[in-house]
Amino acid sequence: MSTQNTNDFVEVFVYETSQNVELLEQIILSSETSGFTRDNLNEIFRIVHTIKGSAAMMLYNNISEISHKIEDLFFYLREHDNLTYDSSELSEIVLNVIDFIKSELDKIKAGEHPDGNPENIAANIRAFLEKLKSENKDVNFVSKGGNEKKADESPAAPVAENKEMTSYEAVVFFEDGCQMENIRAFDIVHRLGSVAVDIVHTPEGLIEDDQSAEIIAKNGFRVEFKSDKPFEEIQQIFEKTLLVKEYSLSEIRNVQEPAALEKAQQAENNGNQQAENKKDTELKSKQNSIISVNIEKLDKLLDLAGELVIAEAMLTNSSDLAGLDLPNFTKTAQHLRKIIDELQDVVMSTRMVPLTVTFQKMNRIVHDMNKKLNKKTKLVLVGQETEVDKNIIEHISDPLMHLVRNAVDHGIEMPEERVKKGKPEVGTIILEARNEGSNVIITIKDDGKGFDKQSILAKAREKNLLPKPEKDMTDNEIYSLIFLPGFSTKDKVSEYSGRGVGMDVVIKNVQAIGGTINLDSQPGEGSTISIKIPLTLAIITGMNVKVGESIYSIPINEVKESFRPNNSDIVRDPEGNEMVMVRGNCYPIYRLHKKFNIKTDVTDFEDGIFVMVEHENNSLCLFVDELLGQQPVVVKALPNYILKYRKISSIAGCTLLGDGSISLILNVSELVKLK
Amino acid sequence: MARVMICDDAAFMRMVIRKLLEENGFEVVAEAENGVVAVQKYIEHKPDIVTMDITMPQMSGIDALKAIREYDKKAKVVMVSAMGQEVMVKEAILAGAKSFIVKPYKEEQVLETLRKIAEMD
Repeated sequence: MSTQNTNDFVEVFVYETSQNVELLEQIILSSETSGFTRDNLNEIFRIVHTIKGSAAMMLYNNISEISHKIEDLFFYLREHDNLTYDSSELSEIVLNVIDFIKSELDKIKAGEHPDGNPENIAANIRAFLEKLKSENKDVNFVSKGGNEKKADESPAAPVAENKEMTSYEAVVFFEDGCQMENIRAFDIVHRLGSVAVDIVHTPEGLIEDDQSAEIIAKNGFRVEFKSDKPFEEIQQIFEKTLLVKEYSLSEIRNVQEPAALEKAQQAENNGNQQAENKKDTELKSKQNSIISVNIEKLDKLLDLAGELVIAEAMLTNSSDLAGLDLPNFTKTAQHLRKIIDELQDVVMSTRMVPLTVTFQKMNRIVHDMNKKLNKKTKLVLVGQETEVDKNIIEHISDPLMHLVRNAVDHGIEMPEERVKKGKPEVGTIILEARNEGSNVIITIKDDGKGFDKQSILAKAREKNLLPKPEKDMTDNEIYSLIFLPGFSTKDKVSEYSGRGVGMDVVIKNVQAIGGTINLDSQPGEGSTISIKIPLTLAIITGMNVKVGESIYSIPINEVKESFRPNNSDIVRDPEGNEMVMVRGNCYPIYRLHKKFNIKTDVTDFEDGIFVMVEHENNSLCLFVDELLGQQPVVVKALPNYILKYRKISSIAGCTLLGDGSISLILNVSELVKLK
Repeated sequence: MARVMICDDAAFMRMVIRKLLEENGFEVVAEAENGVVAVQKYIEHKPDIVTMDITMPQMSGIDALKAIREYDKKAKVVMVSAMGQEVMVKEAILAGAKSFIVKPYKEEQVLETLRKIAEMD
């Protein structure tokens, strides 16, 4: 391995080991409270064994060593029934190892060599194992089907005792570094068993003596035996032994009975039943043919699918076709359209990933926080199989982590306090994901003390963050203050909630993927934070509108309705703000041509049209010249040279239309704030 | 050219072994990620040699070895083990494993082991 180009393997190693570590973490967390079942012990053992083997192949010695230590520990646990030990202490030890491996994996991912020193953790494992052994001295070894007999048994020799025997002596050296020399020697003894008797060998205890492998590697393996078979047949046994560097086999003429003659026999029949039992069970195993694909390729594919959508629109709207009656062309174009739609759906679906992994990570966070803060919180995960775009997962992982930390840190009360208030001692945080139309809603709901309006307001006042007079603010607006940069409700930033990202980063991340956050809180009863995220980002359906010579697209999911107003419905307040009455409600009017300084002849409301847009329960009416229709548009970010020149918050991006012209996509969430 | 089946629950290990074998004139005819699949695929593909990881989910390498040997007395199975599994390797030898390799292994030794086993009757 070391000499080979290992780059191909690193990726698979990291991927698989990360998955194994996640799985291990889940088992540990679920076992911590309910205790370690036999199945769990076996599974843990298997996982760390796999990690150990793979890491050793990659020469990541620190990972393989620490996994080996854990493997030893779980070997002991697995082989002994009725052990008494503190399962939370055990969990803590394994979690430390998990953290260690994770950080080493991060180094590997970053192209560095994993050089962490696991000595401290290893010492903890050793100490735990010692304690375990001394506290459980009289616990019996679990016999596994009776196979743990004396180590060096050999099969009964089918050699007739009365025939004339020749004595042989052999010395075998195995190849350097072939490992487990003692077992290789045992293999020889085992096969000699069918042709020889009175087998005596040095070193004697092949299996039970820890040193035997080393001794054989150094001094060779010496064996004496008697047989009535011809020399050639005996020789064959040594010839066929693998990884033998050299051996000598010779007849001993003057037969002297070795003083310490070892009777080595005992038939070996009982191994075969087990296999039968297991063979029948579980013969059904799923086989998925899954390959992993570089995300960059998927991004590229998505890009291309987007370009294809535009190209198709450009083709079918080509000005060359204007006025022509082309039934066959139209039919083919429709077919093309259908295929592109399907392609787009498939490309989107390849990027969809369930939230499971992201959600499962929160278990660990709640566990760690409970330990540190002495709180009792349980996390309930709902709908973790909900799928979202890979991009989105990357963006919401940190915000979710932060929100969950916040919920434990600031939301859930100390157990005594909860009992006093008549709440269950253990607090509950429900993390839920569900699909709603073309959005995914993720809610984090706790049954803690809820947001404290007064202290939020006080804090905002102190830091001069109040956007408008306090009395004008709705509850929701007050809660939203915590998302402002520089806001923190706790005087001291605690170790957890203050780590990494702040609340303002949470909202920034969520908005970066077109999401919104909504807060709700009942004092004393808990709070709910919901995040609404569009399923996909890149392609949206836009309502194209025309103002003067310019075209704008409005994301269709934010358009509530469009209508031609009567001048009698228009209301003007003393400051000259225009509003329109619709079914008894009053909505502000926003003239797009004024906002963007566009020359247009349509300035009278009755000549144009209103498009009512809504974002987070805020609505307003955009006044535009005319509607052009709906069309799927591929969202492209505004070019950097424009963004650098000026921050344009009311434009979310731009897109190419079918005729090749450019349309600006309106950012409704910003527009509604401007009213 | 010997036809080999690789059984290991770690896709990483299967990939490493497959690459080694394919670059050295072996044909890898099947892979199995647990003992149950190993037995099924053995029956299906009849490989000349099986490399069998000892620790696998659902059915361990040793149980799979026993099941395969029961089906085909001449099956050539090489166990893939790691330090600390001496007792299990021994059990495997008693159950009819032809030989074993120990992770982390030297490539030449794996190749030598498999080549010699391929030549055996």
